[in-house]
Amino acid sequence: MKRFFIPAIFLLLCQLLSSCEEIIDINLNDADQRVVIEADLNNLPNTQVIYVSRTVPFNDARPREIVADAVVMIVGPRNNVFPFVYSEEHQGYINRSFNVRENATYSLSVTVDGEVYESTETMPVAVPVDSVGMLRENIFNDTYYFATLRFQDPAGVPNYYKYNVSVDGKPMKFFSVFSDKFNDGLYVTHQIGSVDNDIEMTSRVIVRRQSISAAVYRYWNEFQSTNPGSAAPANPTSNISNGALGYFGVSSATVYEFDFSTYQEFSSQDTSQ
Amino acid sequence: MMLRIFFALCSLLLFTTVAHAQNRVTLSGFVKNAQSGETMIGAMVRFPDLDISASTNSYGFFSVQVPAGTYQVEVSYIGYNTIANTIELKQNVQRSFEISNESKEIEEIVISASSRPNQVKSPQMGALKITAEEIKKVPVIFGEPDILKTIQLLPGVATGNEGSSNFFVRGGGGDQNLILLDEAIVYNASHLLGFFSTFNSDAIKDVNLFKGGIPAQYGGRISSVLDINMLDGNQKEFGVEGGVGLIASRVKIDGPIVKDKSSFMVSGRRTYADLFLKLSNDENVNQSKLYFYDLNAKMNYKINDRNTIYLSGYFGKDDLGYSDQFSFDWGNATATLRWNSILNEKLFSNTSLIYSDFTYNVRVNSNDNDFGIASQIQNWNLKQDFTYYGFNNHSIRFGLNALSQTIRPASLSAAQNSSVNSIAVDTRQGIESAIYASDEWKVSDRFSMIYGLRLTNFMVMGPGTFYDFDDDGEAIAEQQYGREVVKNYLNLEPRLSMSYLLNGNNSIKASYNRIVQHLHQLTNTTSSLPTDQYVISSVNIKPQIADQVSLGYFQNFANNGYEFSTEIYYKDMRNQIDFRNGADLQANNQLEGELLFGKGRSYGIEWLLRKNRGRLNGWVSYTLAKSERQFDQINGGEWFNARQDRTHDISVVAMYELSKRWTAGATFVYNTGNAITFPSGKYQLDGSTRFYYTERNGYRMPDYHRLDLSVVYEPTPEKKRFSSSWAFGVYNAYNRRNAYIIDFRENEVNPNITEAYKIALFGAIPSVTWNFKF
Repeated sequence: MKRFFIPAIFLLLCQLLSSCEEIIDINLNDADQRVVIEADLNNLPNTQVIYVSRTVPFNDARPREIVADAVVMIVGPRNNVFPFVYSEEHQGYINRSFNVRENATYSLSVTVDGEVYESTETMPVAVPVDSVGMLRENIFNDTYYFATLRFQDPAGVPNYYKYNVSVDGKPMKFFSVFSDKFNDGLYVTHQIGSVDNDIEMTSRVIVRRQSISAAVYRYWNEFQSTNPGSAAPANPTSNISNGALGYFGVSSATVYEFDFSTYQEFSSQDTSQ
Repeated sequence: MMLRIFFALCSLLLFTTVAHAQNRVTLSGFVKNAQSGETMIGAMVRFPDLDISASTNSYGFFSVQVPAGTYQVEVSYIGYNTIANTIELKQNVQRSFEISNESKEIEEIVISASSRPNQVKSPQMGALKITAEEIKKVPVIFGEPDILKTIQLLPGVATGNEGSSNFFVRGGGGDQNLILLDEAIVYNASHLLGFFSTFNSDAIKDVNLFKGGIPAQYGGRISSVLDINMLDGNQKEFGVEGGVGLIASRVKIDGPIVKDKSSFMVSGRRTYADLFLKLSNDENVNQSKLYFYDLNAKMNYKINDRNTIYLSGYFGKDDLGYSDQFSFDWGNATATLRWNSILNEKLFSNTSLIYSDFTYNVRVNSNDNDFGIASQIQNWNLKQDFTYYGFNNHSIRFGLNALSQTIRPASLSAAQNSSVNSIAVDTRQGIESAIYASDEWKVSDRFSMIYGLRLTNFMVMGPGTFYDFDDDGEAIAEQQYGREVVKNYLNLEPRLSMSYLLNGNNSIKASYNRIVQHLHQLTNTTSSLPTDQYVISSVNIKPQIADQVSLGYFQNFANNGYEFSTEIYYKDMRNQIDFRNGADLQANNQLEGELLFGKGRSYGIEWLLRKNRGRLNGWVSYTLAKSERQFDQINGGEWFNARQDRTHDISVVAMYELSKRWTAGATFVYNTGNAITFPSGKYQLDGSTRFYYTERNGYRMPDYHRLDLSVVYEPTPEKKRFSSSWAFGVYNAYNRRNAYIIDFRENEVNPNITEAYKIALFGAIPSVTWNFKF
């Protein structure tokens, strides 16, 4: 809820006070490096990649320091071990024979310089989408386009959803996570835009929807609720042990495509696919 | 038990009244403004021959005992002409004095325009008083005189963000200030997200700020007390005054209902930025709302010479809305009913029944979201205060109060077919009762003190579900309570403030106070928002407790034309509140599991030099301070700087009378930037740069400085009764781009490179206001 109106208030303030923006130099300390693990595994047919890296100083020209010599493996529900090996092409660790299934439990183990980082997750059951559509909204004289996904939220259980969006062939980027705290068991519409607000009337948009666990929701929710007005920004809480940054998730994913050039002005709400 | 102690105390005092006082007589009465009949708070009544003096209480009443005889009596008040009368005191005399701040004079002899109550002699320390006249002279943003912006210029008081009314006293939190408007608690003292305070200075008589040595009659917030008194209304004639500014307009009407017996005052203010929205062609924009208004009203009725009734109230509201899809309003309401009674010339009684609340409402109606969020915090407070003047060299205050505090946290109510569910969160209720007694005692010519004790009992009341949590904040047990006491906190709060006069013009003072706080505001943003959740002490939330010691040196020179003071303090704070990472504070029945508890300490030294007389008036203040917090779960358990920790804080305020018609004002502020958390590294996740944070509040915002200027022009009145003035101002005159927010992002051209950028909120802002009075 708070998330809903704080951006609205900031938007309003910025509009009203025509605030100005300026690049500045800030002398930031260089902290000790930390290991970062990103393992967003899902049931889509593309290759599953686990990224292992280290933090770098803020002014470093590299975005991260890739760790290529880690020992990475997943232990599946029947104690079957899937080793992941480093691939230069993916800049991460891959295993082409690895598949996931709902309700199964997986354990991640990453060893870097003798330190072991571990996590265990159970893959949530996917919540199917009923219908999809496109939506246009005018907010303060600007036009925004959204993809909409409608579905029946299962009652009585907590459900968490994560959306990544790719606009016009650009790389997939995280858009938002949702929980059913306020709409458990209802017929729900999720309205999906892009973080860069770059969906236009001719855009082709790919939306990836994942049913995620509470821990993964928490990670992304903490990330998305950190804004410049936060009193104390912090690293999102990781579900990986031993102080690693990042997260381990196993999820059901579905991909939806939207062609906004087919968007019809007057039948805005739903164009079932 | 508390009641029994209280009545024992009462009967003791009544008894001694009879036994005492043989050949001593009492002069008692009120001090009033000669033009308006307004009672004057903190006016001095002095017997120069005896070197005995008394000051008026918050209702303008004084009482002083002297041996029978004929004396010269001087009455004085800041910025007013001191008057001298010869009074024959053979028996007890009740008499009111009228003093004036206008040059033409009445029958009494005028000695001189007097300075503020003698800061050197009073045993009270850590106290600052500002009159409405002073507030109106200090240049501020948008040309709106503002109490909270003015007190931020005093030593030991730090500002929140740029333009914010939020303030921090001696390193304490923004919710640790007890803000009272005619005794009613004001929960959210700001409009428009902090840019204006809720106090319309037209309706204000005077303001007292206590930062240390807080007297026993106040309790409930651990850092400071800001006691604001509203005007009573002109007893003698009708008056209208007001102003038209760029942002807001205001008008005040006051006058007698029954001459010299009853009067009223009504004052209103409204902003009109939203009128410009109406000009937009966009239907969504021109149906939007963005304004606030407030209304202050007060009336009094003098039943007889001994009894007066006051009724005062405040109502303010902010309204923000976008089209018909989103609306958000919030506001305070207060009402105070008071009965002043002079039981005898030595015993003054005040009984108050006070109500105050703060509510906010959000309404969302877009697509298939149709829901409302409502939250309310309210209290009822019954207070009985006595002041007893029966002993020589003592003035004793004692009283009791019972405050019922109710919090209805934000709950969500959804329409039938809305895509959200209704959520109700348990209402919480607490009853805080207190008794107190304090004595201002002039021990010797040089040594005087105010010592007191406050006993506070807080009952956490059911009904409701209360949870126990483990170390990770997960609920491990829950218990249902009916209409019963869930938990009880009893605390004793000693208060002491004393002064030792070195010679006539300088003194040293020392003070100690303990204060307990049972209402806590949860803020996880840098600016305090109307939607911030409040909680009361409960099973898991222990009361905040502060102990403060301070030591000071005070000196007046050039015949009280200049005042100098310096105070050093150390404050220890227990049971401070912070949150877990990503805490879910909204509509959460297990909110307490999201909280972390730790401790705080702050210390510093403050200097203040004031010039009270002459064509140039004003002050220079400098604070050197430190404020830190420690939580086991934050920052690896190490102490870290509180956000509002500021090493240096300097304010210079100057008002210069150029001529009879032109007055110029200037304010300069400089302070160390707030402590803030910045990243100490970066990494990549989801194909984007992420920031790596290590230390809580380990960095600083850039230093902040700003100059504001103002000029007031008062043309010679053309008609006898009508007068007007023009006030021109520039906020941030040299257009300093102070950083409001600093954030970090990927460079647009090369996303591998990360850059920092700042957002400045206000450049130079001119303002013009036309004020009138008739």
